[in-house]
Amino acid sequence: MKRVGCILLIGCLVLSMFVGCDSGKSSQTQNGKLSVYASFYPMFDFAKKIGGDKVQITSLVPAGTEPHDWEPAASDIAGLEKADVFIYNGAGLEHWTEDVLASLQNKKLITVEASKGISLMEGQEDEEEHATEEEQSKYDPHVWLSPINAKKEMENIKNAFVQADPDNKSIYEANFVKYAAELEKLDKEFKDTLSTVSNKDVIVAHQAFGYLCSAYGLNQVPIEGLSPDSEPDPAKMAEIIDFAKQHKVKTIFFEELVSPKVAQTIASAVGAKTEVLNPIEGLSDKEQAAGDDYFSVMRKNLKNLKTALE
Amino acid sequence: MEILQYDFMRRAFIVGILLAAIIPCIGIIVVLKRLSMIGDALSHSSLAGVAAGLIMGINPILGAVVACIIAALGIEAIRKKIPKFSEMSIAIIMSAGIGLAGVLSGFVKNAANFNSFLFGSIVAINDFEMILVACISCAVMLAFVLLYKELFYIAFDERAARLAGVPVKIVNFIFTILTAVTVSVAARTVGALIVSSLMVVPVACAMQFGKSYKQTVIYSICFAIFFMTTGLFVAYYARLKPGGTIVLIGVICLVLILIGKKIASKVSLAAGKI
Repeated sequence: MKRVGCILLIGCLVLSMFVGCDSGKSSQTQNGKLSVYASFYPMFDFAKKIGGDKVQITSLVPAGTEPHDWEPAASDIAGLEKADVFIYNGAGLEHWTEDVLASLQNKKLITVEASKGISLMEGQEDEEEHATEEEQSKYDPHVWLSPINAKKEMENIKNAFVQADPDNKSIYEANFVKYAAELEKLDKEFKDTLSTVSNKDVIVAHQAFGYLCSAYGLNQVPIEGLSPDSEPDPAKMAEIIDFAKQHKVKTIFFEELVSPKVAQTIASAVGAKTEVLNPIEGLSDKEQAAGDDYFSVMRKNLKNLKTALE
Repeated sequence: MEILQYDFMRRAFIVGILLAAIIPCIGIIVVLKRLSMIGDALSHSSLAGVAAGLIMGINPILGAVVACIIAALGIEAIRKKIPKFSEMSIAIIMSAGIGLAGVLSGFVKNAANFNSFLFGSIVAINDFEMILVACISCAVMLAFVLLYKELFYIAFDERAARLAGVPVKIVNFIFTILTAVTVSVAARTVGALIVSSLMVVPVACAMQFGKSYKQTVIYSICFAIFFMTTGLFVAYYARLKPGGTIVLIGVICLVLILIGKKIASKVSLAAGKI
């Protein structure tokens, strides 16, 4: 009798697991919308702008999470099996894409590497720890931080949408034209503002702003390498403090998703302020609810840069 | 000296030496009680406290301290129930702590915040943390000096201590609380790795030389301070991560001492034969 009860219990458990899985999946691909998965925030935002209300977008990396060390959960893979389009930034940021895509059974899935066609920059020289890592991580993946590159990424996303859903081609094209113009306007604002500033040295938490800095003639001095680490070595910190003193840097930038302790230590050593420079790797729920998006955060960045460098 | 012209390095030395002075004091009692892994167990449990603090919106350091105290009292309670296998209590609390931290971390919205509690760094210490460490160091030092005899008794033989009239329960309780507070704050300030290794490695080194309890205590503090300062120097000039460097220097020293002792005993044996 005891054993029967045991078997029943196990049966129930197994059954409830299946039921649990199903209810998680069934919410996608409904009402004729394209089911789109985006790897993290900028991809999500770009896809939303191009797709408008014709697509149903899910961001894999949850809001407010630093994407460099995120990995997909089983439920994310299950969602991808039912998706139509999967957008990722590429250039080595999402190290998990290769394995995940290889394991998928989904034949109709269109994958977009949004950074395709953008000439990638290599990380800066002093990154011993990155040299030993896999080949793909030697490039700086933070391409979206230059509006011109962002335009290219939007174009790649648009092309994929057109391929997946040719019926709505005109809508996607029109959205792309609209936001491409917005990005060009943003580019011009950056150019006009940053060409007037006297100081060109920007100390940042991690090496994310290479494209932004090279596009507008700034010099990026990162505390950490391409992906934000936890503990810098003391010699590096000493160098940055000396550099900041020599070049009279007034502001040390930190990021919302990375611990500001190191930036604060450096700032107090040189008597500088700390200010946010957001690499838009993820916006929190609160920021998104407040209506923030790529454009508003980029403009905030520009404002902070301007005050810091004047 | 070039290294000391930076404020953050001066702080690292001050906080490092303070912690190096008190952690081995706790460590020696803990080692004698066969609870060497308590540093790991408590620092992992403090993570659960940090996560809970972040979720509930209370100060994460407070959360860590509370979680550590609960965990430490839990270890004491289990240890009393199964006195012969006291290290089991650590394994139980540690897995409970890691499990809870893992589950709770799923609810933490801002991963960066969480990471910064996971990996405190000795080269990024702010005013508040420095004052906190100084206060705790004073409290631990004071307690260790005042309760020197009682702790010594309890560490070697709890039952004999009770028979000799030592208020074992109260002393154990004070010691447990002090351990918990020290670990939770130090783990946040300099990282869990440094804390759990400073608790054991200097004591292990000192035991190779110390002829008495008192000697062992003094030697282990000296060793800890030596590891800390050389570790910071080496990390600075060789461009290494400070936490790992400090720990490795301690372990290398221990290995060298053990090898040296073996050679010395062989030499004296050979000398005796002649």
